[in-house]
Amino acid sequence: MTDTATRPNQRPELAALDDATLSAALTRMHLIRKFEEAAEASYMRGLIHGTMHLSIGQEASAVGTTLPLEAHDYILSTHRGHGHCIARGAEPKLMFAEFFGKETGYCKGRGGSMHIADVEGGNLGANGIVGGGLPIAVGVGMSIKAQKNGRVCMVFFGDGASNEGAFHEALNMASIWKLPVVFVCENNKYGMSMDISRAMAVANVADRASAYAMPGHCIDGNDLAGVAAVANEAIARARSGGGPSLIECKTYRLRGHSKSDRNLYRTKEEIEDWRGQDPIRRLEAELQVHDRFGAAELMSLEEDAQREIDAAVEFARTCPDPDPKDLTRDVYAL
Amino acid sequence: MPVEVILPKVDMDMESGTIEAWHVKEGDLVRKGDTIFEIGTNKAVMEVEAPATGAIRRIRAETGVAITVGTPVAWIYVDGEATDGVIAGADLLPVAMPVSGQVEPAPASTAVEPVVAAAPAGLRATPLARRVARQNGIDIKTITGTGPRGRISESDVTAALVLRGAHQNSTVQTSPHPEEAHRAVSKDGQNGSRASTNILRDAISGEMAPQDEGLKDKDRSQSAGTLKPFSAIRRIVASRLSESMRSAPHFYLTSEIEMSAARDLLRRLSVRHERLAAPKPSLTVLIARVVARVLRDHPLLNASAEGEATRLHERIDIGVAMEREGDLVVPVLRDAGSMDMLAMTREFARLREGVVKRSLTPAELGGGSFTISNLGMYGVDSFTAIINPPQSAILAIGRTVDKPVGRDGQIVLRPMANFTLSSDHRIVDGVTAARFMADLREALESPEVLL
Amino acid sequence: MRSELIEPPVQLRELTYAEAAREALAQAMEADERVFLFGEDVGVYGGAFGVSGDLVHRFGKDRVIDTPISELGIAGAAVGAAITGMRPVLEIQFSDFVTLAMEQLVNQAAKIRFMFGGKASVPMVVRLPGGSGTGAAAQHSQSLEAWFAHVPGLKVLQPSTPHDAKGMLLAAIDDPNPVLIFEHKLLYKTKGHVPEEPYRVPIGKAAIRREGTDITIVGSSIMALKAQAAAERLAADGISAEVIDLRSLRPIDFTTIAESVRKTHRLMVVYEGVKIMGIGAEISAMIAESEVFDFLDAPIIRLGGADAPIPYNPVLEKAAVPQEDDIVTAAQNLVRRGEA
Repeated sequence: MTDTATRPNQRPELAALDDATLSAALTRMHLIRKFEEAAEASYMRGLIHGTMHLSIGQEASAVGTTLPLEAHDYILSTHRGHGHCIARGAEPKLMFAEFFGKETGYCKGRGGSMHIADVEGGNLGANGIVGGGLPIAVGVGMSIKAQKNGRVCMVFFGDGASNEGAFHEALNMASIWKLPVVFVCENNKYGMSMDISRAMAVANVADRASAYAMPGHCIDGNDLAGVAAVANEAIARARSGGGPSLIECKTYRLRGHSKSDRNLYRTKEEIEDWRGQDPIRRLEAELQVHDRFGAAELMSLEEDAQREIDAAVEFARTCPDPDPKDLTRDVYAL
Repeated sequence: MPVEVILPKVDMDMESGTIEAWHVKEGDLVRKGDTIFEIGTNKAVMEVEAPATGAIRRIRAETGVAITVGTPVAWIYVDGEATDGVIAGADLLPVAMPVSGQVEPAPASTAVEPVVAAAPAGLRATPLARRVARQNGIDIKTITGTGPRGRISESDVTAALVLRGAHQNSTVQTSPHPEEAHRAVSKDGQNGSRASTNILRDAISGEMAPQDEGLKDKDRSQSAGTLKPFSAIRRIVASRLSESMRSAPHFYLTSEIEMSAARDLLRRLSVRHERLAAPKPSLTVLIARVVARVLRDHPLLNASAEGEATRLHERIDIGVAMEREGDLVVPVLRDAGSMDMLAMTREFARLREGVVKRSLTPAELGGGSFTISNLGMYGVDSFTAIINPPQSAILAIGRTVDKPVGRDGQIVLRPMANFTLSSDHRIVDGVTAARFMADLREALESPEVLL
Repeated sequence: MRSELIEPPVQLRELTYAEAAREALAQAMEADERVFLFGEDVGVYGGAFGVSGDLVHRFGKDRVIDTPISELGIAGAAVGAAITGMRPVLEIQFSDFVTLAMEQLVNQAAKIRFMFGGKASVPMVVRLPGGSGTGAAAQHSQSLEAWFAHVPGLKVLQPSTPHDAKGMLLAAIDDPNPVLIFEHKLLYKTKGHVPEEPYRVPIGKAAIRREGTDITIVGSSIMALKAQAAAERLAADGISAEVIDLRSLRPIDFTTIAESVRKTHRLMVVYEGVKIMGIGAEISAMIAESEVFDFLDAPIIRLGGADAPIPYNPVLEKAAVPQEDDIVTAAQNLVRRGEA
């Protein structure tokens, strides 16, 4: 990150990000988008079994919040977690291999879309249970504190999870023990079909932070630079021993909850409105306005991402399936 | 009037019998001569025929329960005959009679609750009873159970085997269904009485004895003898050794070993022990001592089978087979590898005394890593032993006897003994066992190599 | 296995079950700084049943941590700490409260390693005081261990003696998997020989507490003790009962049970959890499916908890779980008359 003074005409959140950072962030957003589009296409062609939860439209939240994390920091993700994985640097080809249930996948085909983890890379796993990662983050925070290793744990969850008891227990414990945890709520407006305004008595998830005496940030989740700036502040606070924060990224999933969603609970108009808020296009437009990147440069970032994803799908398709005789292999550690 | 179906007397000395299986159920139409149930006596199972044509009603005898001869067990209602008032709410549907040999299926009589609920079909026997019956080639249906609701347990089968042995002649002679008796007891299908004797012998020995074709029938027709149940120890021994023979593929190597040096050593040790007021050393202890030393270099013989793995024991614990009032016990010289002759002699004497006084703990009577069995003192020349599971080998020692052998081109007399090693081929190969035997020979013939 | 039949000389050091567990915790914390203790009231209060005792004074508040009343949260925290290099030992104050923590134990702790293709492990221990007999009624007296034994990925232990309370707890802390230890509340004050040095009792090995030839009685937790007492009475009545203390529900030591039944031909399983759909069903079915089936000479019987919640009234409470008399009578019926 560089000094905002060198870019006086730009808002400070954007000016704070140098070109290399922005280029990497944009690449990751493209990779997430292309990954999920390819996943969707594979599903429709019958190459993937099971279901998946797509985060198309939420890329700025995944990439923006994780941008200020250091390599050894931890994240805990959700059932809508492809974005978090890629944002943390997971390799799309190994993710696709997992998606296709192959032995070469991140979880050797045992986890699939909802359980992609990259423990060595600090990704402690997506989670099929709404709110499942929240109490785990507390324990990761306890580890960090006990081991005094200066790390931070960022845990993602949705608006729906904020109505789980786990959310309240976790925020309370993280706060009383001042744990280095950043709680990131990706509020995409619906818990499956349940509108958050019908499911929650307060207006914002971030409002709930006050009950646990921690900062609550309610932000535009489709603004990469804005998300990164707030995440940077929360991460710095956590790392310095200041305790946890709650960030609420208001965003929108442009696809249904899962592949069986027929969008009966929302209107086409609403979806179209949000399409206009596409975080990738918004960032590209802003970068061109300020002349940080040219159209050709932006185009080539997107094309590179597409090539990587195409290769990843090809790799995954040719990988071997697990052997049924190994079914129970990893039930227990020996 | 309905025709009574009684439990018939089918054997001379029969007072009661059991219905082993009903072939018909309430409401079934039968023709005179159809089999309607099977009756079991002490000796055989027989089929009982319907005494009339009509519908079976009021089945009132359960299977597997002893019933006095002559007791009615059901009735046959002929030709649309109304059921009598005994049956509460006797709203039976009219029974159709068979026309020209064809039996019409009777309507299901679900509304009828007979006086006695229809007996459940099938026979009650425990798995162990069935197993013992199967092993002895006996039809379980021919046995009367004494357990709850006539359940046959192992003791019923054993008792029946003994009884049959005692009355085998009458079984054959009186059975109106020789083929049944034959099926029940004879596997070779040649002679029922011969098979009976085998059954008896099997019952006593606990194992399936091979059929001996050479003996005449009269030789077989001896009295049954007395049935002596296994002692607790005998039961364990029987089960463990059977298991060993079943699961461990045994093979055997025999070596004839010269015992001059060993005898000499024993003599000298005796003098030393006497001086130290220690018990006299025996050949068995000396062999145990030598085996313990040799085993150090042969880990596969100091091992046991565990599932599909071999457990190599760090310690050498030598079991020594001993006899106690007809039972086999195997006290263990724990950590024999670390004992000198004096210590081992003392420990052996202690174990021996413990065996006699029954004062040894179960821990002292099990868990060895190798076993030796010496029957030399009984004049046995050589024998093969069954491995003490889960160990990988056992050494059987015969008597030491002077035999002519060639030495330096001369025939001389030397004390010789046969050592037979039984090995579990899952763990030990022929060469492995042979190397052990070679080292054992060297150690016994030249004890100085142990230094 | 056999060595446990030898009675320890009388002068050996004795501890209560609770003291033995505490000694294990202290020794584990001394030996490994990754080990820490947490749960409701485990600090200055010393734990609801006094197991943690003075440990907070010896190891400090950072390693003996009082938590809010948040069973789901603390169970999840154990998972998080375990997957990032710690060795948490969690106390659920009464095992009944584990119902609030099921999500984290069943969906997360048990499955993380498998779901992640073997690339993570969850070395955590949960101690759960359970069982009836204290007048604590329906929500503080249950025996829920069989629920967890149904979950692949978990290990479930039920030590019955002070010796095992220590040795199994140390083994559990060493284990790289999530281990649940159900401790019967009535056992905490029982005394027995406990060696001072740290030792491990292997997980997954049942113990033959008494050898016998007529009937095998498998008991878990406190029922193993009741079965031993019953076996003494049966011996006086000429019935030789072999008593197996199950000790570990998952993994279960089927071999020891099967070998015993092969010898005795009769099997009784005694446990405090509700009889139906429980431990006894599993053991019975394993025997019935195995080659040992052919060695059964009587029906298999289960003595288990009544099909009712644990009642408050002491007479009813006693009637709700198997007692020594029940074991004696059932064994006599089975051996003498073949009646189940």
